[in-house]
Amino acid sequence: MKTQLNRLGREIWQARYIYLLMIPGLLFFIIFHYVPMNGVVLAFKKFNARLGIWGSPSVGWANFERIFRTPDAINAIRNTFEINLSRLVFQFPAAIILALLLNEMRGTRVKRIYQTVYTFPHFLSWVVVSSILSNFLASGGLINSIIAGMGGSRINFLADTALFRPLLYLTHNWKEMGWDSIIYMAAIAGIDPTLYEAATVDGAGRMHQVIHVTLPGILSTIVILFILQVGRIMNAGFEQIFYMQNAAVMKVSDVLDTYIYTITFRATPNYGFSAAVGLFKSVINLFMLLAANWTVKKASGSGLFA
Amino acid sequence: MQKKSRLRRATGWDVVIFIALTLTAIVIFLPFYNAVVISMETNRAYALNPVSLYPVEFTMRNYEHLISKGQIGIGYKNTIFITFIGTALSMAAMVSMAYAFSRKKYPGKKFFFLLMMFTMFFSGGMIPTYLQFKNLGLINNVWAVILYSGVSAYNIIILKNGFEQTPPELEEAARIDGANDLVIFLRVELPLQGALLATFTLFTAVGYWNEWFWSTLLINSGSKMTLQVVLKAIVAESAALEDVSTGEAGLDTFAQGIKMAAVMLTMVPIMCLYPFLQKYFVKGVLVGSVKM
Repeated sequence: MKTQLNRLGREIWQARYIYLLMIPGLLFFIIFHYVPMNGVVLAFKKFNARLGIWGSPSVGWANFERIFRTPDAINAIRNTFEINLSRLVFQFPAAIILALLLNEMRGTRVKRIYQTVYTFPHFLSWVVVSSILSNFLASGGLINSIIAGMGGSRINFLADTALFRPLLYLTHNWKEMGWDSIIYMAAIAGIDPTLYEAATVDGAGRMHQVIHVTLPGILSTIVILFILQVGRIMNAGFEQIFYMQNAAVMKVSDVLDTYIYTITFRATPNYGFSAAVGLFKSVINLFMLLAANWTVKKASGSGLFA
Repeated sequence: MQKKSRLRRATGWDVVIFIALTLTAIVIFLPFYNAVVISMETNRAYALNPVSLYPVEFTMRNYEHLISKGQIGIGYKNTIFITFIGTALSMAAMVSMAYAFSRKKYPGKKFFFLLMMFTMFFSGGMIPTYLQFKNLGLINNVWAVILYSGVSAYNIIILKNGFEQTPPELEEAARIDGANDLVIFLRVELPLQGALLATFTLFTAVGYWNEWFWSTLLINSGSKMTLQVVLKAIVAESAALEDVSTGEAGLDTFAQGIKMAAVMLTMVPIMCLYPFLQKYFVKGVLVGSVKM
């Protein structure tokens, strides 16, 4: 026992500089992530600024029960699920398709120029991107002027409840697809070239090579990114929606993040209720991540954590 | 394979792929170009002809109007401060933590790693985080943004993967010479990881430059506003102007033009950095790879 303790002590002493290097990062995670995590008790309290988080009276599950009695909250939950499932369908494959197309494209120089164009919007904030795009789609903007010039009637893209969600997916792809494709390009570059040679010898055409060599070669990358995406199912892309939404499309665009923001910064905030909605969101996220990871692990034998 | 495909004759597929990718490039480029044109256009010319490939009546009045109002200048000053100090501090914290995680077994490594990784998937939420800032006295203080928004568990993991790729012989050689972990970190690892560090320095800097959410929540006095917050205010303001009447700001300047000029001024530094970003980002993504 004593020798074991001695050994542990010696190991810790040997690693003393490693711990030292870890201190700033650990302090950061403790102060800005773990201390606020204690704040989730707020979700079970009626917040009173004078009494603080810990002094405020406890109300049990009342804040959570209220979520399911508030029509706006229920609407936000439904929108969050709908928008995110659609994102998995309309956004997730876009980067993969782009990477496959780029890989099949001839001409290295043109390819590089295109990639430069595709990736650039990733480095801009949503404030900038939404300003540029809403200008482009405005009723007096370029697209509508062209429509009007061809004799059509102007479309108010951003205030149309039927068009708003497709625009979300489209503008997200516009901004992030190029960047997201890089990781797939890297995975494609890592595929053993002899596999293609073997496929050619076997008489596989280009399409067959894409389906039977390239796609299987990047499958593990796709799986990992898919799990991570599912783990964010309740984060519907706050900044994008926040900038693009307006009163006309609130019904179809209000998601949990924007809902929390609205109820927190209105005239009479109820911090306990806001925190409850936030916690509800975080817990579902964590659950979805673990569920997706578990499912994939069962099916393919490898998941995120091993 | 690569060589062979270049020798191959162009087929129908090649044409289809080329057209699809070209259209995509145009769709992504056009809104930017349109914004540049509008920002340099006069109100009169824009009202007559909104579809133009170049400014019909070239003017810099939209920019002059914006700069003379002063908000943009204040935003620039604050954002530059936050970006420089924030990037330096965050990189120092992330790189040293990543190095620590790249070392071989030592007591507590796994525990600390999980502690960090958990923050990627669960958070206390907006209100508790806000209240924590309040407890620390960081409301209306640019240090809140500096301290909070630069460090990310995801980046630390990728940096860790980078450090793990250093050949172990180098470390052993240094250890035989009597170097401790700190010396190895500073003298052996850091100089070897130049490209990786450059990549993440740039990413972190862009992150600070674009940060908006916490800047809005935490900073409320006009003199401390960051560039993105200023831009958002200008956009909201010009939307209100459009509702009243077009051309309120004068004959040459107009809401749409001012808005696009503000967007351009916010974008310029990123555009200047972009060639460097592009040079390094593929490497950055590759080194980390996706596998944790």
